[in-house]
Amino acid sequence: MRSNPVYRRERAVRARSLRIPLIVFVFNGLLAAVALLGMYSAVEHVKASSFIQYSNFLQLYVFVVTLEFLMLIFIMPALTSGSISGERERRTLELLFTTRMPPSKIVTGKLCSAFGQLFLLIVSSFPVVVLTFVYGSMSVQDIGLLFLCYVTAALLTGGIGILFSCLMRRSTLANVCTYGVLLLLMAGTYMLNVFLYGISRTKADSMLPVAGQLRPAADSGAAVYLLLLNPGTTFIEILGSQAVGSVDGMLISSFLGNRPLNVVTGNWILVSLGVQLLLAVCLIWGAILLLKRRE
Amino acid sequence: MLKIRGLKKKFKNFQVLDGLDMDIEEGALYGFVGPNGAGKTTAIRVITGLLRPDGGTVEIGGRDAFAYREQVKQEFGYVPDEFGMYDNLKVREYMEFFASCYGLDGLVARNRCMELLEQMKLLDKEDDYVDSLSRGIKQRLCLARAMIHDPRFLVLDEPTSGMDPRVRMEFTEILREMCAEGKTILISSHILSELSRMCTDIGIIDAGKIVLSGSMSEILRKVNDSNPLRIRLCGEREAAVDVLKEDRRVQTITIRDGDIVVNFHGDQTAEAELLARLIACGARINGFFREQGDLESVFMQLTNHEFQKVVFHSEE
Ligand SMILES: Nc1ncnc2c1ncn2[C@@H]1O[C@H](COP(=O)(O)OP(=O)(O)O)[C@@H](O)[C@H]1O
Ligand SMILES: [Mg+2]
Repeated sequence: MRSNPVYRRERAVRARSLRIPLIVFVFNGLLAAVALLGMYSAVEHVKASSFIQYSNFLQLYVFVVTLEFLMLIFIMPALTSGSISGERERRTLELLFTTRMPPSKIVTGKLCSAFGQLFLLIVSSFPVVVLTFVYGSMSVQDIGLLFLCYVTAALLTGGIGILFSCLMRRSTLANVCTYGVLLLLMAGTYMLNVFLYGISRTKADSMLPVAGQLRPAADSGAAVYLLLLNPGTTFIEILGSQAVGSVDGMLISSFLGNRPLNVVTGNWILVSLGVQLLLAVCLIWGAILLLKRRE
Repeated sequence: MLKIRGLKKKFKNFQVLDGLDMDIEEGALYGFVGPNGAGKTTAIRVITGLLRPDGGTVEIGGRDAFAYREQVKQEFGYVPDEFGMYDNLKVREYMEFFASCYGLDGLVARNRCMELLEQMKLLDKEDDYVDSLSRGIKQRLCLARAMIHDPRFLVLDEPTSGMDPRVRMEFTEILREMCAEGKTILISSHILSELSRMCTDIGIIDAGKIVLSGSMSEILRKVNDSNPLRIRLCGEREAAVDVLKEDRRVQTITIRDGDIVVNFHGDQTAEAELLARLIACGARINGFFREQGDLESVFMQLTNHEFQKVVFHSEE
């Protein structure tokens, strides 16, 4: 990556701007305040009742990793959606096109630059995350899976951002479109499932019970597979697999009714990570092709 | 160096380039002139490969610009009509960034940048931020940037617009020097007088076509032949006007400041003959001469379509 001119330039410029240190400071400050307060109240609770409620610490853990996830989901589009369109607005994209640098390097340089900034944020928040492990710990596999989920979500949201950045002339429009699609991908697919599940349940409830037969449980039909595209669902599934308890209502199993598990629903986390990675690669590839066509 | 044949480009239903032909010899300083909206920028964007034409061919250094895109990129440097600056980037970093875009790195890139900054007299600005520079200096930096890979051919789109005369002079001087060093330069402008003083060749574009082109001396000769004749008379001029109206070589007749101004196509013997006929019909002539016109008026004639339609117009 060091040989990528775009990446190197962005890094040099970034080192001068006050934006990143400010974000790091504010974000970690908030995170630390919440974590420490939560910790304090949990410990006080233990002292007062002489009864250790481990779920409090688990909740703190869920809170911290969720905040990190949300930050990643929201920051990555902001970092990428203005990247190519910004060059176009500054009239430097054309200059790059007349040089011998291939469009793929422009896209990967921008993407890596965004990743670098995100990485800084996540690494800098490690001390706070580790704080939540004071009264418990995680296996390496759990951490690895969570990390993979973060990387996938970052690639996917970054891919959406950079594709719109290539597609749109104005950064603001690219920004709006990116967040719109992200909303559709996350809240949209989830709400659709909630909606279909609701309909299905009304239907099931109105059915007369037949003797000797189980009443069919409500499910959201094939729409559940749309959630494969939703990085939020994958994240929640990972939390669920870590048996933290507080996310049970949002797991995909609640949309499946009593349908038996198949290859996909049985290996939801891995399959969805694979699907999202594939989608991310397609988006990034699409962005490169778009730039090549424009060139 | 550059050979363009039958270039066509249409935006929606507006034909911007309508069969543009252009030839630039190696080592020329070619002035590409035309009024605003004539299609200069569009032509330049096609030459630099930023825009696909609907038809026609572009050859740079003897190679087809579209088929050999990568090789041709090494041949030319491009200064667009807008600067293209980054925020928070220093002059040296700006140069080194573009050097690395051409695959130059490390010490080689550094030395090349220093060399160019020195040539453009920008060494003292090395640590300034590019977005804080004045227009004139930005333009020099852009030129330095365009030369980073040592191209033989430079394409500049209206580089001197919005500059004060002094900065413009300095810039012209730099271009002349570069031309003397063997670079071929294409420079566009909507102001002819600016280019006529420094260019070796001129091409005038209007409505997507080259309407006049050639070497500077060639064009000046053409211009002289097309300058109007001014005829000064004492007393009546009806008889003289009648004679002029009958002459086939006379294209327009205008009365200006009491004189008759005639667009007359003909050499010096033809002029003498016309004078003799005027005197023969009894006109009392006390002045008969070619006006000292300049390129500017030709430019106006060629690019202002209204102007050519005037046949008889009295300003009295
Ligand atoms: N991308 C575009 N879409 C539509 N029309 C364009 C575009 N670019 C240029 N034009 C039109 O083409 C004409 C020529 O433009 P241009 O080449 O910029 O002229 P010049 O540089 O000689 O002033 C103008 O009338 C302009 O409106
Ligand atoms: Mg222009």
